[in-house]
Amino acid sequence: MHAIEVSHLSKQFGTLTALDDISFSVAEGETFGFLGPNGAGKTTTIRILTGISTPSAGTATIFGKDIIRETIATRKQMGIVPETSNIYDDLTGWQNLMFTAELYTVGKNEREKRGRELLELFGLSERRNNKVHDFSKGMKRRLTLAMGLINDPRLLFLDEPTSGLDVQSNLIIRDVIRDLNARGVTVFLTTHNIEEANLTCDRVAIINRGRIAAIDSPERLKKTIQSVQSIEVAFDSAAAGRIEDLKQIPKVSEVRKEGDKFRLFTEDPSSVIAAIMEYAKTNNSRVLSISTFGPSLEDVFIKLTGLEIRTKGVSTVE
Amino acid sequence: MNEVARIHGQLYAELHAAWAIAKKDIAIYYLKPNIIVSGALFPLFMFLAFAVGKPAGPSVMIPGLIAITILFSASSIEPVSIPIERRMKTFDRLVSAPISLNAVVLGESLSGFLYSSGIAFVPFIAGMLIFGTQILSFLPLVTGVILTAFCFATMGTLFAAYPTESPGDIMSMLNMIRLPLIFISGVFIPIESIPSIGRIAVYFSPLTYGNDLIQAAYLGNTHFNPLIDVAMLCVFILVFQIIADRLYKKFNT
Repeated sequence: MHAIEVSHLSKQFGTLTALDDISFSVAEGETFGFLGPNGAGKTTTIRILTGISTPSAGTATIFGKDIIRETIATRKQMGIVPETSNIYDDLTGWQNLMFTAELYTVGKNEREKRGRELLELFGLSERRNNKVHDFSKGMKRRLTLAMGLINDPRLLFLDEPTSGLDVQSNLIIRDVIRDLNARGVTVFLTTHNIEEANLTCDRVAIINRGRIAAIDSPERLKKTIQSVQSIEVAFDSAAAGRIEDLKQIPKVSEVRKEGDKFRLFTEDPSSVIAAIMEYAKTNNSRVLSISTFGPSLEDVFIKLTGLEIRTKGVSTVE
Repeated sequence: MNEVARIHGQLYAELHAAWAIAKKDIAIYYLKPNIIVSGALFPLFMFLAFAVGKPAGPSVMIPGLIAITILFSASSIEPVSIPIERRMKTFDRLVSAPISLNAVVLGESLSGFLYSSGIAFVPFIAGMLIFGTQILSFLPLVTGVILTAFCFATMGTLFAAYPTESPGDIMSMLNMIRLPLIFISGVFIPIESIPSIGRIAVYFSPLTYGNDLIQAAYLGNTHFNPLIDVAMLCVFILVFQIIADRLYKKFNT
Protein backbone atom coordinates (compact mmCIF):
# COMPACT_ATOMS: atom_id res chain seq x y z
CA MET A 1 0.00 0.00 0.00
CA HIS A 2 1.25 3.46 -0.88
CA ALA A 3 1.45 6.21 1.74
CA ILE A 4 0.11 8.69 -0.83
CA GLU A 5 -1.64 7.93 -4.11
CA VAL A 6 -2.69 10.88 -6.25
CA SER A 7 -4.68 10.32 -9.43
CA HIS A 8 -5.56 12.97 -12.02
CA LEU A 9 -5.81 15.71 -9.42
CA SER A 10 -6.88 19.17 -10.58
CA LYS A 11 -7.70 22.39 -8.76
CA GLN A 12 -9.29 25.48 -10.25
CA PHE A 13 -9.52 28.87 -8.55
CA GLY A 14 -11.94 30.70 -10.83
CA THR A 15 -10.17 30.83 -14.18
CA LEU A 16 -6.78 29.97 -12.69
CA THR A 17 -5.67 26.34 -12.94
CA ALA A 18 -3.51 25.75 -9.85
CA LEU A 19 -3.17 21.99 -10.45
CA ASP A 20 -3.62 20.41 -13.85
CA ASP A 21 -4.25 16.65 -13.85
CA ILE A 22 -1.32 15.56 -11.67
CA SER A 23 -0.73 11.93 -10.71
CA PHE A 24 1.98 10.40 -8.51
CA SER A 25 2.47 8.01 -5.63
CA VAL A 26 4.71 8.00 -2.57
CA ALA A 27 5.84 4.70 -1.04
CA GLU A 28 5.63 4.08 2.69
CA GLY A 29 8.86 5.16 4.41
CA GLU A 30 9.96 7.30 1.47
CA THR A 31 11.17 10.90 1.69
CA PHE A 32 9.53 12.54 -1.29
CA GLY A 33 10.39 16.03 -2.44
CA PHE A 34 7.99 18.31 -4.25
CA LEU A 35 10.11 20.87 -6.01
CA GLY A 36 8.91 23.89 -7.90
CA PRO A 37 9.10 27.65 -8.22
CA ASN A 38 6.75 29.91 -6.25
CA GLY A 39 3.16 29.54 -7.42
CA ALA A 40 3.81 26.17 -9.07
CA GLY A 41 1.10 24.39 -7.04
CA LYS A 42 3.12 22.91 -4.16
CA THR A 43 1.09 24.36 -1.28
CA THR A 44 -2.20 23.70 -3.11
CA THR A 45 -1.19 20.04 -3.37
CA ILE A 46 -0.42 19.87 0.37
CA ARG A 47 -3.71 21.57 1.24
CA ILE A 48 -5.61 18.96 -0.78
CA LEU A 49 -3.61 16.04 0.63
CA THR A 50 -4.28 17.24 4.19
CA GLY A 51 -8.01 17.69 3.57
CA ILE A 52 -8.02 21.47 4.03
CA SER A 53 -8.90 22.09 0.40
CA THR A 54 -11.03 19.98 -1.94
CA PRO A 55 -9.88 19.13 -5.47
CA SER A 56 -11.87 20.22 -8.52
CA ALA A 57 -11.25 16.76 -10.02
CA GLY A 58 -9.30 13.59 -9.30
CA THR A 59 -8.65 11.57 -6.16
CA ALA A 60 -6.05 11.35 -3.41
CA THR A 61 -5.64 8.55 -0.90
CA ILE A 62 -3.52 8.42 2.25
CA PHE A 63 -2.60 4.86 3.33
CA GLY A 64 -5.45 3.62 1.15
CA LYS A 65 -8.10 5.98 2.59
CA ASP A 66 -9.73 8.63 0.46
CA ILE A 67 -8.89 12.09 1.82
CA ILE A 68 -12.32 13.50 0.94
CA ARG A 69 -14.49 10.64 2.18
CA GLU A 70 -12.36 9.72 5.24
CA THR A 71 -10.77 13.04 6.10
CA ILE A 72 -10.66 12.60 9.87
CA ALA A 73 -9.31 9.03 9.76
CA THR A 74 -6.52 10.04 7.36
CA ARG A 75 -5.59 13.17 9.33
CA LYS A 76 -5.04 11.05 12.45
CA GLN A 77 -2.08 9.44 10.71
CA MET A 78 -0.41 12.63 9.55
CA GLY A 79 1.55 15.53 10.96
CA ILE A 80 1.49 18.88 9.20
CA VAL A 81 4.20 21.54 9.23
CA PRO A 82 2.98 24.46 7.11
CA GLU A 83 5.15 27.03 5.37
CA THR A 84 4.32 29.68 7.98
CA SER A 85 5.16 28.81 11.58
CA ASN A 86 1.56 28.83 12.74
CA ILE A 87 2.01 28.89 16.47
CA TYR A 88 0.31 30.94 19.18
CA ASP A 89 2.64 33.77 20.20
CA ASP A 90 0.71 34.39 23.43
CA LEU A 91 1.14 30.80 24.62
CA THR A 92 4.35 29.20 25.86
CA GLY A 93 6.21 26.58 23.84
CA TRP A 94 4.87 23.88 26.14
CA GLN A 95 1.26 25.16 25.92
CA ASN A 96 1.49 25.18 22.11
CA LEU A 97 2.65 21.57 22.10
CA MET A 98 0.00 20.41 24.56
CA PHE A 99 -2.76 22.23 22.66
CA THR A 100 -1.82 20.48 19.42
CA ALA A 101 -1.66 17.14 21.22
CA GLU A 102 -5.18 17.71 22.54
CA LEU A 103 -6.46 18.46 19.04
CA TYR A 104 -5.11 15.01 18.08
CA THR A 105 -6.55 13.38 21.25
CA VAL A 106 -3.13 12.26 22.49
CA GLY A 107 -3.58 10.97 26.08
CA LYS A 108 -2.28 13.11 28.95
CA ASN A 109 0.68 10.93 29.95
CA GLU A 110 1.66 10.25 26.35
CA ARG A 111 1.48 13.91 25.30
CA GLU A 112 3.54 15.08 28.27
CA LYS A 113 6.17 12.38 27.62
CA ARG A 114 6.35 13.15 23.91
CA GLY A 115 6.29 16.89 24.61
CA ARG A 116 9.38 16.63 26.83
CA GLU A 117 11.19 14.42 24.27
CA LEU A 118 10.42 16.74 21.36
CA LEU A 119 11.48 19.89 23.20
CA GLU A 120 14.74 18.12 24.05
CA LEU A 121 15.19 16.93 20.45
CA PHE A 122 14.69 20.42 19.05
CA GLY A 123 16.81 22.17 21.68
CA LEU A 124 13.89 24.06 23.22
CA SER A 125 13.69 22.50 26.70
CA GLU A 126 15.15 25.50 28.48
CA ARG A 127 12.62 27.84 26.86
CA ARG A 128 9.56 25.62 27.34
CA ASN A 129 7.85 28.06 29.72
CA ASN A 130 8.63 31.20 27.71
CA LYS A 131 5.93 32.76 25.58
CA VAL A 132 6.60 32.16 21.91
CA HIS A 133 6.70 35.85 20.94
CA ASP A 134 10.17 35.90 22.54
CA PHE A 135 11.40 33.07 20.27
CA SER A 136 13.68 33.59 17.26
CA LYS A 137 12.47 32.60 13.77
CA GLY A 138 14.51 29.39 13.93
CA MET A 139 13.10 28.46 17.35
CA LYS A 140 9.55 29.07 16.09
CA ARG A 141 10.24 26.82 13.11
CA ARG A 142 11.61 24.07 15.35
CA LEU A 143 8.58 24.35 17.62
CA THR A 144 6.26 24.11 14.59
CA LEU A 145 8.04 20.93 13.56
CA ALA A 146 7.77 19.55 17.11
CA MET A 147 4.01 20.30 17.02
CA GLY A 148 3.79 18.40 13.73
CA LEU A 149 5.33 15.34 15.40
CA ILE A 150 3.41 15.39 18.69
CA ASN A 151 0.93 12.74 17.49
CA ASP A 152 3.75 10.42 16.29
CA PRO A 153 2.53 10.50 12.65
CA ARG A 154 3.14 7.84 9.99
CA LEU A 155 3.22 10.58 7.36
CA LEU A 156 4.68 14.05 7.79
CA PHE A 157 3.93 16.96 5.46
CA LEU A 158 6.66 19.59 5.49
CA ASP A 159 6.05 22.78 3.56
CA GLU A 160 9.34 24.67 3.01
CA PRO A 161 10.75 23.47 6.35
CA THR A 162 14.09 25.28 6.32
CA SER A 163 13.28 28.38 4.29
CA GLY A 164 15.25 31.38 5.59
CA LEU A 165 16.54 29.66 8.73
CA ASP A 166 19.79 29.97 10.66
CA VAL A 167 22.42 27.24 10.28
CA GLN A 168 21.71 25.62 13.67
CA SER A 169 17.97 25.27 13.01
CA ASN A 170 18.67 24.03 9.48
CA LEU A 171 20.98 21.27 10.73
CA ILE A 172 18.60 20.19 13.50
CA ILE A 173 15.65 19.98 11.09
CA ARG A 174 17.64 18.04 8.46
CA ASP A 175 18.84 15.60 11.14
CA VAL A 176 15.28 15.08 12.33
CA ILE A 177 14.08 14.40 8.77
CA ARG A 178 16.82 11.79 8.32
CA ASP A 179 15.96 10.22 11.67
CA LEU A 180 12.25 10.08 10.78
CA ASN A 181 13.12 8.43 7.48
CA ALA A 182 15.24 5.85 9.32
CA ARG A 183 12.26 5.08 11.59
CA GLY A 184 10.05 4.43 8.55
CA VAL A 185 8.04 7.66 8.67
CA THR A 186 6.98 8.86 5.22
CA VAL A 187 8.00 12.46 4.59
CA PHE A 188 6.39 14.64 1.92
CA LEU A 189 8.54 17.72 1.57
CA THR A 190 7.86 20.76 -0.56
CA THR A 191 10.74 23.08 -1.19
CA HIS A 192 12.28 25.43 -3.67
CA ASN A 193 15.66 24.73 -2.07
CA ILE A 194 17.15 22.35 -4.62
CA GLU A 195 20.11 21.38 -2.46
CA GLU A 196 17.78 20.48 0.40
CA ALA A 197 15.82 18.15 -1.90
CA ASN A 198 19.06 16.69 -3.25
CA LEU A 199 20.35 15.95 0.26
CA THR A 200 17.21 14.60 1.90
CA CYS A 201 14.88 13.08 -0.70
CA ASP A 202 14.67 9.53 -2.08
CA ARG A 203 12.65 10.84 -5.01
CA VAL A 204 11.75 14.24 -6.29
CA ALA A 205 8.82 15.51 -8.34
CA ILE A 206 9.36 18.74 -10.21
CA ILE A 207 6.14 20.71 -10.56
CA ASN A 208 5.69 23.79 -12.70
CA ARG A 209 2.51 25.74 -13.50
CA GLY A 210 0.38 23.04 -11.91
CA ARG A 211 1.87 20.19 -13.93
CA ILE A 212 4.43 17.58 -12.99
CA ALA A 213 7.46 17.94 -15.25
CA ALA A 214 9.41 14.93 -13.94
CA ILE A 215 9.52 12.41 -11.09
CA ASP A 216 12.60 10.37 -10.22
CA SER A 217 15.52 10.08 -7.82
CA PRO A 218 17.80 13.15 -7.79
CA GLU A 219 20.66 11.19 -9.38
CA ARG A 220 18.51 9.81 -12.21
CA LEU A 221 17.10 13.23 -12.91
CA LYS A 222 20.62 14.60 -13.21
CA LYS A 223 21.48 11.86 -15.72
CA THR A 224 18.65 12.95 -18.00
CA ILE A 225 20.53 16.16 -18.81
CA GLN A 226 24.11 14.98 -19.07
CA SER A 227 24.55 17.55 -21.84
CA VAL A 228 24.64 20.28 -19.18
CA GLN A 229 28.14 19.92 -17.78
CA SER A 230 30.23 22.74 -16.43
CA ILE A 231 33.82 23.80 -15.79
CA GLU A 232 34.76 26.01 -12.87
CA VAL A 233 37.95 27.99 -13.34
CA ALA A 234 39.85 30.53 -11.22
CA PHE A 235 42.58 32.79 -12.61
CA ASP A 236 45.40 34.45 -10.65
CA SER A 237 44.31 37.94 -11.61
CA ALA A 238 41.17 39.85 -12.55
CA ALA A 239 40.91 41.22 -16.06
CA ALA A 240 38.32 43.49 -17.59
CA GLY A 241 36.09 41.86 -20.18
CA ARG A 242 37.14 38.32 -19.19
CA ILE A 243 33.55 37.04 -19.11
CA GLU A 244 33.06 38.22 -22.70
CA ASP A 245 36.35 36.55 -23.77
CA LEU A 246 35.30 33.23 -22.20
CA LYS A 247 31.93 33.36 -23.97
CA GLN A 248 33.81 33.38 -27.28
CA ILE A 249 35.29 29.90 -26.64
CA PRO A 250 33.70 27.37 -29.03
CA LYS A 251 31.09 25.00 -27.56
CA VAL A 252 30.53 27.19 -24.46
CA SER A 253 26.80 27.81 -24.09
CA GLU A 254 26.86 30.08 -21.03
CA VAL A 255 29.34 31.72 -18.66
CA ARG A 256 28.56 32.82 -15.10
CA LYS A 257 30.77 34.70 -12.68
CA GLU A 258 30.57 33.03 -9.25
CA GLY A 259 32.64 34.96 -6.70
CA ASP A 260 36.29 34.93 -7.86
CA LYS A 261 35.59 32.04 -10.25
CA PHE A 262 33.92 31.54 -13.63
CA ARG A 263 31.54 28.70 -14.50
CA LEU A 264 31.38 27.69 -18.17
CA PHE A 265 28.55 25.42 -19.36
CA THR A 266 29.34 23.04 -22.23
CA GLU A 267 28.60 19.69 -23.83
CA ASP A 268 32.31 19.09 -24.46
CA PRO A 269 34.42 19.76 -21.33
CA SER A 270 37.73 18.41 -22.70
CA SER A 271 37.91 20.78 -25.69
CA VAL A 272 36.81 23.72 -23.53
CA ILE A 273 39.51 22.97 -20.90
CA ALA A 274 42.13 23.02 -23.65
CA ALA A 275 40.76 26.34 -24.91
CA ILE A 276 40.82 27.85 -21.40
CA MET A 277 44.50 26.89 -20.94
CA GLU A 278 45.30 28.41 -24.32
CA TYR A 279 43.39 31.58 -23.39
CA ALA A 280 45.34 31.87 -20.10
CA LYS A 281 48.67 31.45 -21.89
CA THR A 282 47.79 34.05 -24.52
CA ASN A 283 46.68 36.58 -21.88
CA ASN A 284 49.61 36.02 -19.49
CA SER A 285 47.31 34.64 -16.79
CA ARG A 286 47.77 31.60 -14.62
CA VAL A 287 44.97 29.11 -13.93
CA LEU A 288 44.81 28.69 -10.12
CA SER A 289 42.22 25.89 -10.17
CA ILE A 290 40.01 24.15 -12.69
CA SER A 291 37.30 21.55 -12.01
CA THR A 292 34.60 19.85 -14.02
CA PHE A 293 31.05 19.23 -12.76
CA GLY A 294 28.19 17.04 -13.91
CA PRO A 295 24.70 18.52 -14.03
CA SER A 296 23.22 19.53 -10.65
CA LEU A 297 19.62 19.11 -9.58
CA GLU A 298 19.39 22.86 -10.03
CA ASP A 299 20.27 22.43 -13.71
CA VAL A 300 17.53 19.81 -14.04
CA PHE A 301 15.11 22.13 -12.30
CA ILE A 302 15.98 25.06 -14.57
CA LYS A 303 15.72 22.95 -17.69
CA LEU A 304 12.40 21.36 -16.76
CA THR A 305 10.68 24.42 -15.35
CA GLY A 306 11.87 26.80 -18.04
CA LEU A 307 13.45 29.08 -15.47
CA GLU A 308 16.49 31.00 -16.53
CA ILE A 309 18.84 32.59 -14.03
CA ARG A 310 19.86 36.00 -15.21
CA THR A 311 22.28 38.41 -13.64
CA LYS A 312 19.40 40.55 -12.36
CA GLY A 313 17.29 37.74 -10.92
CA VAL A 314 15.18 34.86 -12.05
CA SER A 315 12.60 35.03 -14.77
CA THR A 316 10.46 32.59 -16.68
CA VAL A 317 11.18 31.91 -20.32
CA GLU A 318 8.68 30.51 -22.80
CA MET B 1 -20.19 -3.02 18.33
CA ASN B 2 -17.01 -1.83 16.62
CA GLU B 3 -18.99 0.88 14.87
CA VAL B 4 -20.48 2.00 18.21
CA ALA B 5 -16.99 2.12 19.77
CA ARG B 6 -15.68 4.09 16.78
CA ILE B 7 -18.51 6.65 17.01
CA HIS B 8 -18.01 6.91 20.77
CA GLY B 9 -14.27 7.43 20.28
CA GLN B 10 -14.79 10.11 17.64
CA LEU B 11 -17.40 11.90 19.76
CA TYR B 12 -14.95 11.96 22.66
CA ALA B 13 -12.21 13.29 20.35
CA GLU B 14 -14.51 16.04 19.04
CA LEU B 15 -15.57 17.21 22.51
CA HIS B 16 -12.01 16.97 23.82
CA ALA B 17 -10.72 19.08 20.94
CA ALA B 18 -13.60 21.59 21.30
CA TRP B 19 -12.72 22.03 24.97
CA ALA B 20 -9.02 22.44 24.06
CA ILE B 21 -9.96 25.20 21.57
CA ALA B 22 -12.08 26.95 24.22
CA LYS B 23 -9.23 26.78 26.78
CA LYS B 24 -6.83 28.20 24.21
CA ASP B 25 -9.18 31.11 23.50
CA ILE B 26 -9.61 31.78 27.23
CA ALA B 27 -5.83 31.92 27.69
CA ILE B 28 -5.19 34.17 24.69
CA TYR B 29 -8.18 36.41 24.01
CA TYR B 30 -10.19 37.11 27.17
CA LEU B 31 -7.99 40.00 28.23
CA LYS B 32 -7.49 41.54 24.77
CA PRO B 33 -8.48 45.24 24.99
CA ASN B 34 -10.90 45.13 22.02
CA ILE B 35 -12.77 42.22 23.59
CA ILE B 36 -13.07 43.97 26.94
CA VAL B 37 -14.37 47.10 25.20
CA SER B 38 -16.87 45.41 22.90
CA GLY B 39 -17.85 42.62 25.28
CA ALA B 40 -18.09 44.36 28.65
CA LEU B 41 -17.96 48.16 28.39
CA PHE B 42 -20.08 48.58 25.25
CA PRO B 43 -23.25 46.97 26.71
CA LEU B 44 -22.84 48.98 29.90
CA PHE B 45 -22.73 52.27 27.98
CA MET B 46 -25.65 51.15 25.80
CA PHE B 47 -27.62 50.48 28.94
CA LEU B 48 -26.73 53.82 30.51
CA ALA B 49 -27.67 55.63 27.30
CA PHE B 50 -31.10 54.07 26.93
CA ALA B 51 -32.21 53.07 30.43
CA VAL B 52 -31.10 55.78 32.83
CA GLY B 53 -33.89 58.24 33.58
CA LYS B 54 -36.66 55.85 32.56
CA PRO B 55 -39.41 55.30 35.13
CA ALA B 56 -39.02 51.48 35.11
CA GLY B 57 -37.62 49.96 38.32
CA PRO B 58 -34.45 47.88 38.78
CA SER B 59 -36.32 44.58 38.54
CA VAL B 60 -37.23 45.52 34.96
CA MET B 61 -33.91 47.15 34.06
CA ILE B 62 -31.49 44.58 35.52
CA PRO B 63 -32.82 41.65 33.40
CA GLY B 64 -32.49 43.91 30.35
CA LEU B 65 -28.93 44.77 31.29
CA ILE B 66 -28.10 41.08 31.78
CA ALA B 67 -29.63 40.25 28.39
CA ILE B 68 -27.72 42.87 26.40
CA THR B 69 -24.51 42.10 28.32
CA ILE B 70 -24.86 38.50 27.18
CA LEU B 71 -25.67 39.59 23.60
CA PHE B 72 -22.51 41.69 23.29
CA SER B 73 -20.07 39.63 25.35
CA ALA B 74 -20.98 36.22 23.93
CA SER B 75 -20.75 37.39 20.33
CA SER B 76 -17.50 39.35 20.75
CA ILE B 77 -14.82 36.66 21.21
CA GLU B 78 -14.89 34.83 17.85
CA PRO B 79 -15.23 37.91 15.61
CA VAL B 80 -11.92 39.03 17.14
CA SER B 81 -10.11 35.72 17.62
CA ILE B 82 -10.89 34.01 14.30
CA PRO B 83 -9.73 36.84 11.96
CA ILE B 84 -6.55 37.18 14.05
CA GLU B 85 -6.01 33.42 13.75
CA ARG B 86 -6.55 33.63 10.00
CA ARG B 87 -3.91 36.34 9.80
CA MET B 88 -1.46 34.33 11.95
CA LYS B 89 -2.34 31.15 9.99
CA THR B 90 -3.15 29.37 13.28
CA PHE B 91 -6.73 28.86 12.09
CA ASP B 92 -5.32 26.36 9.55
CA ARG B 93 -4.09 24.34 12.54
CA LEU B 94 -7.69 23.99 13.73
CA VAL B 95 -9.22 23.16 10.35
CA SER B 96 -6.49 20.61 9.55
CA ALA B 97 -6.86 18.71 12.87
CA PRO B 98 -8.57 15.29 12.87
CA ILE B 99 -11.89 16.76 13.99
CA SER B 100 -14.98 17.99 12.17
CA LEU B 101 -15.67 21.67 11.51
CA ASN B 102 -18.60 21.26 13.92
CA ALA B 103 -16.08 20.64 16.72
CA VAL B 104 -14.14 23.76 15.73
CA VAL B 105 -17.35 25.83 15.72
CA LEU B 106 -18.40 24.31 19.05
CA GLY B 107 -14.99 25.03 20.63
CA GLU B 108 -15.00 28.62 19.45
CA SER B 109 -18.59 29.13 20.63
CA LEU B 110 -17.76 27.53 23.99
CA SER B 111 -15.19 30.20 24.74
CA GLY B 112 -17.72 32.97 23.97
CA PHE B 113 -20.30 31.19 26.09
CA LEU B 114 -18.01 30.89 29.13
CA TYR B 115 -16.85 34.50 28.80
CA SER B 116 -20.41 35.75 28.57
CA SER B 117 -21.67 33.62 31.44
CA GLY B 118 -18.94 35.12 33.64
CA ILE B 119 -19.62 38.70 32.53
CA ALA B 120 -23.38 38.23 33.12
CA PHE B 121 -22.62 37.84 36.80
CA VAL B 122 -21.57 41.51 37.00
CA PRO B 123 -25.03 43.08 36.41
CA PHE B 124 -26.61 40.23 38.39
CA ILE B 125 -24.44 40.93 41.46
CA ALA B 126 -24.65 44.72 40.96
CA GLY B 127 -28.46 44.46 40.89
CA MET B 128 -28.52 42.56 44.17
CA LEU B 129 -25.93 44.69 45.99
CA ILE B 130 -26.81 48.17 44.73
CA PHE B 131 -30.55 47.98 43.99
CA GLY B 132 -31.50 45.03 46.20
CA THR B 133 -33.24 43.25 43.31
CA GLN B 134 -34.86 39.97 44.31
CA ILE B 135 -34.69 36.76 42.31
CA LEU B 136 -38.09 35.06 42.32
CA SER B 137 -36.88 31.91 40.60
CA PHE B 138 -33.33 30.82 39.75
CA LEU B 139 -34.29 28.17 37.18
CA PRO B 140 -35.36 30.59 34.39
CA LEU B 141 -32.37 32.83 35.21
CA VAL B 142 -29.82 30.02 34.91
CA THR B 143 -31.54 28.49 31.88
CA GLY B 144 -31.90 31.89 30.23
CA VAL B 145 -28.28 32.90 30.81
CA ILE B 146 -26.89 29.57 29.58
CA LEU B 147 -29.03 29.29 26.43
CA THR B 148 -28.81 32.98 25.50
CA ALA B 149 -25.05 33.03 26.00
CA PHE B 150 -24.59 29.90 23.89
CA CYS B 151 -26.93 31.19 21.22
CA PHE B 152 -25.08 34.50 20.77
CA ALA B 153 -21.66 32.85 21.03
CA THR B 154 -22.69 30.61 18.12
CA MET B 155 -23.96 33.68 16.26
CA GLY B 156 -20.55 35.32 16.78
CA THR B 157 -18.83 32.21 15.42
CA LEU B 158 -21.20 32.23 12.44
CA PHE B 159 -20.35 35.84 11.54
CA ALA B 160 -16.64 35.12 12.02
CA ALA B 161 -16.90 32.59 9.17
CA TYR B 162 -16.70 35.53 6.77
CA PRO B 163 -13.21 35.09 5.27
CA THR B 164 -11.42 38.21 6.44
CA GLU B 165 -8.28 38.79 8.48
CA SER B 166 -9.65 42.01 10.01
CA PRO B 167 -11.84 41.82 13.18
CA GLY B 168 -13.28 45.26 12.27
CA ASP B 169 -14.94 43.85 9.13
CA ILE B 170 -16.87 41.29 11.14
CA MET B 171 -17.70 43.64 14.01
CA SER B 172 -19.25 46.10 11.54
CA MET B 173 -21.50 43.41 10.06
CA LEU B 174 -22.34 42.05 13.49
CA ASN B 175 -23.34 45.44 14.88
CA MET B 176 -25.79 45.87 12.01
CA ILE B 177 -27.64 42.91 13.54
CA ARG B 178 -26.88 43.34 17.25
CA LEU B 179 -27.97 46.96 17.64
CA PRO B 180 -31.45 46.58 16.06
CA LEU B 181 -31.98 43.41 18.14
CA ILE B 182 -31.95 45.51 21.33
CA PHE B 183 -34.96 47.52 20.16
CA ILE B 184 -37.12 44.68 18.87
CA SER B 185 -36.64 42.22 21.72
CA GLY B 186 -38.46 43.82 24.63
CA VAL B 187 -35.26 44.91 26.40
CA PHE B 188 -35.91 48.64 26.52
CA ILE B 189 -39.35 48.76 24.91
CA PRO B 190 -41.94 46.23 26.18
CA ILE B 191 -43.08 43.90 23.41
CA GLU B 192 -46.68 45.11 23.86
CA SER B 193 -45.57 48.69 23.10
CA ILE B 194 -43.68 47.85 19.90
CA PRO B 195 -45.58 49.06 16.79
CA SER B 196 -47.43 46.23 15.04
CA ILE B 197 -45.12 46.28 12.02
CA GLY B 198 -42.09 45.71 14.29
CA ARG B 199 -43.84 43.07 16.33
CA ILE B 200 -43.35 40.48 13.59
CA ALA B 201 -39.60 40.98 13.87
CA VAL B 202 -39.80 40.26 17.60
CA TYR B 203 -40.36 36.58 16.87
CA PHE B 204 -37.18 36.34 14.78
CA SER B 205 -34.91 37.71 17.50
CA PRO B 206 -33.26 35.20 19.85
CA LEU B 207 -32.82 38.06 22.33
CA THR B 208 -36.62 38.21 22.71
CA TYR B 209 -36.72 34.69 24.14
CA GLY B 210 -33.56 35.10 26.24
CA ASN B 211 -34.75 38.39 27.72
CA ASP B 212 -38.20 36.89 28.36
CA LEU B 213 -36.68 33.99 30.34
CA ILE B 214 -34.40 36.24 32.37
CA GLN B 215 -37.27 38.63 33.12
CA ALA B 216 -39.27 35.68 34.41
CA ALA B 217 -36.65 35.20 37.14
CA TYR B 218 -37.15 38.78 38.33
CA LEU B 219 -40.81 39.53 37.54
CA GLY B 220 -42.37 36.11 37.76
CA ASN B 221 -44.29 36.50 34.50
CA THR B 222 -43.29 35.97 30.86
CA HIS B 223 -44.58 37.15 27.52
CA PHE B 224 -44.23 33.67 26.06
CA ASN B 225 -44.49 30.28 27.73
CA PRO B 226 -40.98 29.58 29.20
CA LEU B 227 -40.93 26.27 27.32
CA ILE B 228 -41.37 28.19 24.07
CA ASP B 229 -38.51 30.49 25.08
CA VAL B 230 -36.28 27.45 25.72
CA ALA B 231 -37.37 25.70 22.52
CA MET B 232 -36.82 28.81 20.38
CA LEU B 233 -33.35 29.43 21.81
CA CYS B 234 -32.44 25.79 21.11
CA VAL B 235 -33.71 26.16 17.53
CA PHE B 236 -31.62 29.32 17.03
CA ILE B 237 -28.50 27.57 18.42
CA LEU B 238 -29.03 24.63 16.08
CA VAL B 239 -29.64 26.84 13.04
CA PHE B 240 -26.60 29.04 13.76
CA GLN B 241 -24.42 25.95 14.31
CA ILE B 242 -25.52 24.36 11.02
CA ILE B 243 -25.09 27.57 9.01
CA ALA B 244 -21.70 28.25 10.64
CA ASP B 245 -20.51 24.71 9.82
CA ARG B 246 -21.56 25.16 6.16
CA LEU B 247 -19.97 28.60 5.87
CA TYR B 248 -16.64 27.44 7.34
CA LYS B 249 -16.71 24.51 4.91
CA LYS B 250 -17.47 26.83 2.00
CA PHE B 251 -14.83 29.44 2.83
CA ASN B 252 -12.07 27.07 3.93
CA THR B 253 -11.99 24.61 1.04
